[in-house]
Amino acid sequence: MNKSALDLIGVSKLFQKDGESVLAVDSVSLTVNEGELITFLGPSGCGKTTTLRMVAGFELPSSGRITIQGKDMTNTPVNKRGIGFMFQTYALFPHMSVYNNVAYGLKARGEKDRAIRTKVREALQLVGLEKTEHRFPNQLSGGEQQRVALARVIVMEPSLLLMDEPLSNLDAKLRIHMRTEIRKIQKELGITCLYVTHDQSEALTMADRIVIMNKGKVEQIGTPFEIYSNPQSVFVADFIGQANIVPLEIHGVEEETLSVQIPHGGLFTARALRPDRFEKQDTIYRVGEQASLIIRPEQISLGPGPAKEDHFPAIVESSMFVGSHIEYFVRLYNDTTLKALIPYQTGMHIFTSGEEVELSFDVSSAVFLPA
Amino acid sequence: MKRDPALFLALVTVWLSFAVFIFLPLVRLLGATFMVQGKISFVNLRSIISKSYNMRALYGSLILATAVSVAGTVLGYLFALAVTRTQISAFIKGVISVVAMLPLISPPFTSSISLTLALGPNGMLLKALGIGSFSIYGFLGTWISETLTYFPVAFMVITAVLNTMSATLDDAALSLGASRWRMFRTLTIPLSMPAIVNSILLLFGASLADFATPLILGGHTFPVLPTEAYLLITGMFDIKGGATMSFLLLVPALIVFFLQRVMLGKKSFVSVTGKSGSRTEFARLPRSLEALIAVVCTLVAVFIVYLYAIILWGSLVKVWSVNNTITFEHYRYVFKHGQKAIKDTLLIALVSTVIGSVLAVIIGFVVQRKQFFGRRFLEFSSMLNYALPGTVVGIAYIIAFNTKPLVLTGTLSILVAAYVFRYYATGIRSVIASLEQIDPALEEASLSLGAGTVRTFTHITVPLIIPALVSGMRYLFIHCMTAISATIFLVSVRWTLLTTRILESMTELQFSQASAFSMVLIAIVFLADILLMYLLKFTTAKITRTQEISYEQIGA
Repeated sequence: MNKSALDLIGVSKLFQKDGESVLAVDSVSLTVNEGELITFLGPSGCGKTTTLRMVAGFELPSSGRITIQGKDMTNTPVNKRGIGFMFQTYALFPHMSVYNNVAYGLKARGEKDRAIRTKVREALQLVGLEKTEHRFPNQLSGGEQQRVALARVIVMEPSLLLMDEPLSNLDAKLRIHMRTEIRKIQKELGITCLYVTHDQSEALTMADRIVIMNKGKVEQIGTPFEIYSNPQSVFVADFIGQANIVPLEIHGVEEETLSVQIPHGGLFTARALRPDRFEKQDTIYRVGEQASLIIRPEQISLGPGPAKEDHFPAIVESSMFVGSHIEYFVRLYNDTTLKALIPYQTGMHIFTSGEEVELSFDVSSAVFLPA
Repeated sequence: MKRDPALFLALVTVWLSFAVFIFLPLVRLLGATFMVQGKISFVNLRSIISKSYNMRALYGSLILATAVSVAGTVLGYLFALAVTRTQISAFIKGVISVVAMLPLISPPFTSSISLTLALGPNGMLLKALGIGSFSIYGFLGTWISETLTYFPVAFMVITAVLNTMSATLDDAALSLGASRWRMFRTLTIPLSMPAIVNSILLLFGASLADFATPLILGGHTFPVLPTEAYLLITGMFDIKGGATMSFLLLVPALIVFFLQRVMLGKKSFVSVTGKSGSRTEFARLPRSLEALIAVVCTLVAVFIVYLYAIILWGSLVKVWSVNNTITFEHYRYVFKHGQKAIKDTLLIALVSTVIGSVLAVIIGFVVQRKQFFGRRFLEFSSMLNYALPGTVVGIAYIIAFNTKPLVLTGTLSILVAAYVFRYYATGIRSVIASLEQIDPALEEASLSLGAGTVRTFTHITVPLIIPALVSGMRYLFIHCMTAISATIFLVSVRWTLLTTRILESMTELQFSQASAFSMVLIAIVFLADILLMYLLKFTTAKITRTQEISYEQIGA
């Protein structure tokens, strides 16, 4: 088994703001393996950046422990942790040349000039900026500044690379280019990396595993595929990709499935998810209570109405042709509006607003979550 | 703090220096006022208040301060409008700015001396206008002189705010059908209200503390607190009386200081948009207001230039208004007999500037960047000596440092301490302001790259705040060269100052000598100022570039 590169054990952070205390991070636990890239994803104010800053040592946890490669670093100052940090604003030293920026940490560490020169050149070569040594940060483009910031961190060979939305100041195209570049370098060097972002496509494409945070808590940890296909909470389902959330009443609870009564329709069953924090299915789902059915827009199919027994009857509210797909908004009888993406095939009938349709979906891919 | 021994050391040093040079004198001053034979007593206060002449000094101080703050703010506002809201050429705007700044860098006597020369007995302007009986001494002269001396402060404060307003607001008002007067009344004035209030408070405080002007122009008919306290101590050796008088002065000064801090604490509601509105021009002011601005600004600017010319003239004639032969004998006198004063003043100003700058950087840095117990109190305390009138500080210093354990009277250190702890305030302010502009991520980056807090401070923070520091040093140096109110009590045979030599010449009615001393002092300050400005350009050449990017980096 891999030795863990980083462990967060019940880490919390309490901020004092205007006399009120705010729990920014609420007992977060996480084990990161050597060489892994973990992204922290969540809405702004969810505590992802604070968590990262506690790992860096810019903030001290109010409670809990942080160990890096097995060593307790909870109260170790930043400069003794051997981490690398990339800032949203790059934080290049404006009064120093590119060379001196990259050499800064090595000098502080007291390395020999000759060694510094070799390492700085190597690092600049790695990010493709070997010719900019003598320039100043303001003479570089945003993307170049970003690379210098990356070179400045990796030249230190940190045990842990922490990145706080490093790409958010770049334009869309450059952002996509840089994220593959960062991922390539990270894999090449085998650096363990924590990466904070609010951009879900960034999180999904770069990460080995994603940590989804909300209101200071970890909602779910998993591979991009797990997160997308098996969201453990309505929040995660809603946050990642697009999801229709339909509240339905539970009719029966079985080992793996729930059966529900469709309003103005018959019974149907679908897979029920039991979030990790619950031991048994029946502790969270009870007959007569509600559960949320999660359906992705692309899982829905529509047919001409009226609906058969175990299908949903619905009314088309709007339809929009978007090229490869037709985007529908349809209303169920319980007034829930669902979004459906139907792949367009030549000659296909396009339902118009007000038309009665039959809505169905693949029950094996739809899931129930606690309401 | 456990993790930051450097911070701990800095705090210990700063608090110790505050204890000795801020709190100890203040406590001793209050002791001298309220302690009689080891007991708390109001005897001193009662005996001072019971004398009607002293009460007239209190009222005089308050009335003068009110009049100066109102007149100075109005004048400053008109000048600020001229520079920010009129179509006059950039060159004339530049001239107006320079003329308006002249009184700020001149020694405090300049306008009093020239007013005396122009409107005093045998006054040049009186003769020219053929006015016989007129006395400049009293309220009127003091008021005019102080208004001319302090309106540049109002001008600076208000210009800064008028410049940050968004011109699109003007456009919006006009497009909604408002007349120019309405726009001015409902938009420009209300949005600049914080600056107006701040300016009134600043000028009130400055006038309250002014010592030199009423000493020369107040005369016996118009006593004010600082001069009365000074006369009690130097004329009648009544330290207790002087201390009590300065306590009367301390109370309104502290009230103004508190009000100002409340003002500063509130976020200004001026719309600082930076981007959207900066391209459009401000709308024109109402015609009548433009005319008023033109007339007032021209007259005042010409008058200021005239006053400076008169000092130059005064320093060059043999005997003022008696023998108008041009001569350099007064300058010869200054360089011969005033050499020691010049050297002393320069040395003291240089030493104070260096020490004050180091302290300003340390205090500004810990207050803006660090979290520790008593941070706000530290900042408050650092400003105390600056907030108190110089007379109060001077009297407090002689009381505190005349007796054991710290006998410092007559030494260089007492003069330096008096200057440093009063005038480093501008340095602290500019360091704090510049740190607010510098992304803390720069320092965090340095720490995360393995540099310690000390290396981060010396390699990253200090180089980035140098421009701010130099401009702070500029004011520190100017103040050290030109101030008198605190140090008049602290000079000795061993250490003397140019400003006290000017005062001596004035009291001996040696107007030409006083003028020559003033000219030399103004020249030194001017040269030093140019030198510092050059230094500022030199240091920023490397760093301005950098500040531009830091905006880019933030993605603004």
